[in-house]
Amino acid sequence: MPDPVDTSKVSELPLDALVACHECDLLMRKPQLGLGEKAQCPRCGYELYAHRHNVVERSLALVIAALLLYIPANFLPIMKLNLLGRSSEDTVWSGVLGLYHTGMSGIAVVVFLCSMGIPLLKLACQLAVLLSIRWDIGRSYGLLLYRIYHHLRDWGMLEVYLMGVLVAIVKLADLAELSLGLGLACFVGLLLTQVLLEVIMSPHQVWQALSGEDEHAGH
Amino acid sequence: MRAIDAGILICTECHELNRQEEGSDEQVCTRCGALVHPRRPNSLMRTWALLLTSAILYIPANLLPIMTISSLGKGDPSTIMSGVIVLVQHGMFPIAAVVFVASILVPTFKLVGIALLLFSVQRRQPLSARQRIIMYRFIEFIGRWSMLDIFVIAILVAIVNFGRIASVEANLGAVAFASVVILTMLAAVTFDPRLIWDNTESDDDHE
Repeated sequence: MPDPVDTSKVSELPLDALVACHECDLLMRKPQLGLGEKAQCPRCGYELYAHRHNVVERSLALVIAALLLYIPANFLPIMKLNLLGRSSEDTVWSGVLGLYHTGMSGIAVVVFLCSMGIPLLKLACQLAVLLSIRWDIGRSYGLLLYRIYHHLRDWGMLEVYLMGVLVAIVKLADLAELSLGLGLACFVGLLLTQVLLEVIMSPHQVWQALSGEDEHAGH
Repeated sequence: MRAIDAGILICTECHELNRQEEGSDEQVCTRCGALVHPRRPNSLMRTWALLLTSAILYIPANLLPIMTISSLGKGDPSTIMSGVIVLVQHGMFPIAAVVFVASILVPTFKLVGIALLLFSVQRRQPLSARQRIIMYRFIEFIGRWSMLDIFVIAILVAIVNFGRIASVEANLGAVAFASVVILTMLAAVTFDPRLIWDNTESDDDHE
């Protein structure tokens, strides 16, 4: 754990020898981390930063995997319902369209953004940021895009959507004949990839690489 | 010691440290270019405004029907609570519990919790900093889960689409409910957690 600094001389220390907690503003001497270690704030327990290896390569692989899963996850049927000899299918996209056509365009926009739009934008931002680090081009756009990514982060709600699918399955199961589709598997895959990506793409290292402070992050 | 006391500002976006410049109102982060402030400006007022708006919308969200399930020409509007009751009557207790927690407990807890946080930061009471930060993190984490009911409606509208035999339609309650969820999430974002620790220097600074 990092040491909180109490001496009055701390404000004269160079800034790169210090770290402050984002959540409680406690000022500390910056600890040196080995690979796979992380630093937590001693006062409030917030994770200050982590140090992982091959951040860029591993994250790139995950972003590409997630982008490949994106289309089947959103446009292949999640489930099929049979009722009195008629059948209907549900995809993430048809849910948005269904709401739109029944005049609930506000809700349709919210559902579209939380389950499709923002997750795609997040992936696009991550891809652009990683490529800008990897190829060493357009770092200033990389910084801007990574800021945008952090603002979008909370608003992509794939895991909540998956829970919604489960609730819908339970509600419908005893009313009609229900079968699950390939879209659901892709959706779960997309969700898992994205969770893993959040863990591996440690923001501290990405910020450092983007600003050129850390020469080794890309290798 | 707090960073603010050392004249150091932490960037809210990239967490880079910046030395406070004398006499400048709009200082930008040296790394990412975002505006940096010692504390988010008007954090408490903005959070109060968002909280009050969502508290007002909370009433129609719970009273108006969120969707209408019609089968064979007979419409059956359901509110959030009646949806939970139907699930209980069908004996689907686990899923009823999930829906109850996500759509009734969590929004209520968030409204009360954010109000408590604001009160305790402004009045320096009655919660300890540790209780407040746990509350803040819980509210921040749990907020998104209230969208559950909205997603369920979207799925049901798409799949239960058999014309006169059976169909599902979203109603105005859903609009109010989605607004409550979004506004309380925004309220959690505008609240500056560093305020929690500002009045508590002696509290649990050193452990």
